Amino acid sequence: MQSSKKIVVLGHFGVGKTSLIRRFVTDTFSDNYKVTIGVHITKKVVEISPDDTISLILWDLEGTDDIESIRNAYLLGTHGVVFVFDITRPSTFQHLNNDLKIVSSKIPNVPFLVVGNKTDLVAPSELKSVFDENNISVDFFTSAKTGDAVNDLFSKLANQLVSDA
Amino acid sequence: MLEKYREQYINRSIQFTFVDQKGIVVESDEVLFELKTGSSIYEFHPFFESLGAILESPEEEISFHCVHLSLEEDLLITDIKALKKTDGLLLIIYDLTQHYNSYQLATQARNESIIKTELTVIKNLELEERELFKNRFIQNFSHELRNPLTSIISIAKIIGDTELNGGQKKMLDFLMESSDNLKLLLEDILSISMIASGKLKLDVKIFSLYQLLELLEFTYSSKAREKGLEFMLKRNSKIPEFIEGDRLRLFQVLTNLLDNAIKYSESGKVSLELLFNQKRANRISMRFQVTDTGAGIPEESLTTIFESFTRLRSSEKQGGTGLGLSIVNGLLELMGSEIKVDSTLGEGSVFYFDIVLKYPLQLASKSLLKVADKKQAKIKKPKEGVRFKLLLVEDDLAIQTVLFKFLMNTKHFYVDFVDDGDQVMSKIVSEQYDIILMDVKLPNTNGDEITRQIRNFPFKNIKDIPIVGITANAYEENIKSYLNAGMNAVLSKPFEEELLIETIYKFLK
Ligand SMILES: Nc1nc2c(ncn2[C@@H]2O[C@H](COP(=O)(O)OP(=O)(O)OP(=O)(O)O)[C@@H](O)[C@H]2O)c(=O)[nH]1
Ligand SMILES: [Mg+2]
Repeated sequence: MQSSKKIVVLGHFGVGKTSLIRRFVTDTFSDNYKVTIGVHITKKVVEISPDDTISLILWDLEGTDDIESIRNAYLLGTHGVVFVFDITRPSTFQHLNNDLKIVSSKIPNVPFLVVGNKTDLVAPSELKSVFDENNISVDFFTSAKTGDAVNDLFSKLANQLVSDA
Repeated sequence: MLEKYREQYINRSIQFTFVDQKGIVVESDEVLFELKTGSSIYEFHPFFESLGAILESPEEEISFHCVHLSLEEDLLITDIKALKKTDGLLLIIYDLTQHYNSYQLATQARNESIIKTELTVIKNLELEERELFKNRFIQNFSHELRNPLTSIISIAKIIGDTELNGGQKKMLDFLMESSDNLKLLLEDILSISMIASGKLKLDVKIFSLYQLLELLEFTYSSKAREKGLEFMLKRNSKIPEFIEGDRLRLFQVLTNLLDNAIKYSESGKVSLELLFNQKRANRISMRFQVTDTGAGIPEESLTTIFESFTRLRSSEKQGGTGLGLSIVNGLLELMGSEIKVDSTLGEGSVFYFDIVLKYPLQLASKSLLKVADKKQAKIKKPKEGVRFKLLLVEDDLAIQTVLFKFLMNTKHFYVDFVDDGDQVMSKIVSEQYDIILMDVKLPNTNGDEITRQIRNFPFKNIKDIPIVGITANAYEENIKSYLNAGMNAVLSKPFEEELLIETIYKFLK
């Protein structure tokens, strides 16, 4: 049977979790913000090599600024984590290092990617320096709007999941 | 009867489904959706792919809240309870779509408003920062320009005193006029950015309003005459002589308005009127009004003329920076007033503002008059043949040269130089000076610090040497701090030679 991996997508509200998944799964984008409540689950089969695929089960969680309050049931059996923040809103990354610590204590020992989203709204030159200065290490800077780095993000995660298995 | 309702409202919204360890549907009541016996529940919705994890967990019972079971729309939002049984899992699925849809609406409104607030705050901060940066840049930039400009003006004056042929003289006049204009422009730009950044503070003192008006009348009658215009000053007799306010800034406002009035009038007359509004306790409200017979201002320009860098008829080559009215606007705002304008095309314009100022009651004004007089008293020139020892501390060679020549020309000084802050102390200990003329910004030790050292020196003859500072850093707060350090006076660059020499004479014994 094809192996399937559960990925949870976390972060504060409005950072673009739903949009990143939508860009990845259906290659579309909408400027409208519809708040996600609870959880939406979608599935996408990804090719890792010409004769190997895995299916990613993407759990798009309700955004919250209190990461601690995420229900543990949602996290059960998670194989990989994507933590998203919005580079245009400091409140979504102000306590990033602390948020990440909480996430990794809730979901230990799984591949974990940190994503700064909405790069289309910020000049590239400004981008790096801000996060370097603040000692925040970010795996991907993406734009769900333009699609920039979105596929890279999920393929990297998929590959990590396969090599882990 | 209640059983019937229970059936209608509860049973119809809860589905029971039993699956085996591999996720194959064993039995399901099809209250919410259909699941065929023998089919894999994984196929129905990806949520159920996590059943394996449930089986592996040590918990006997796990609840999931707010799970969307329809892939596209929010048609089915459920809570799902999974209970471990010996041969499989019992799933109890509650349809809470309505409940969660109203929760969604509330959360939507909340999140949107929080995000909107945050983005607005960020935007305002950015705007402020940009404005601050702009003003700081302009201020630094203007300061940097002061030193070279001081040299240009001073050297031009020195050249003017030498033998020149007609053509050279003409060119020199042009050079001097251009640099004077540049100096005015610099000052205007600096004023504007200081007003904008809130750095400009009013210096409120009691002063003679009559004297100020006389000065304006004197200056502008001759300016008007040069252009073939009439000038008229009118003052209501109820206006007291002495008022409390920032004389310099009021002067700046009125000169800007009058300069404009003369600039834009080709014929006719320009007038300055001071009208009485009312008096209450020790406050007076009055109106200053400047009228011209210029071309008038078109309706659509009336709102923009007070903004920075607009010029009404930019094609015309009239002097001025176009900053005048925006300075007027900013200064009046600081004084709690507001500039207004009425204008008729082809007839002229009236600029006016109402301002409320305190004025001292009878008794106080007499003694103050004396103080004012004393300050105005002419400073005595030293007698012929008397010479003073002056130490000039300045690292800019051009300014050094200019000052030296100028001081020597008066024939009242022996001048010594130092161009490094660290050499000042040893110099004044080994020689007795009558006065020190010192730049503030110096290599190694700055002038204000040296002043502090001198003022703390144990010997009276050194400790009390008069010190006149010169600075390109003409912020009010800086000048105050230099005075606090112990300087007797501080002049800003570019300085007027007359003022410089008067100031020096004032502190000589
Ligand atoms: N310009 C820009 N806007 C984006 C991007 N990604 C998302 N957005 C917008 O940001 C808003 C929020 O996006 P969502 O994807 O709904 O955010 P979310 O993280 O799922 O929010 P919650 O469900 O409330 O947690 C929407 O208006 C999106 O259109 C992006 O890359 N660039
Ligand atoms: Mg969402």
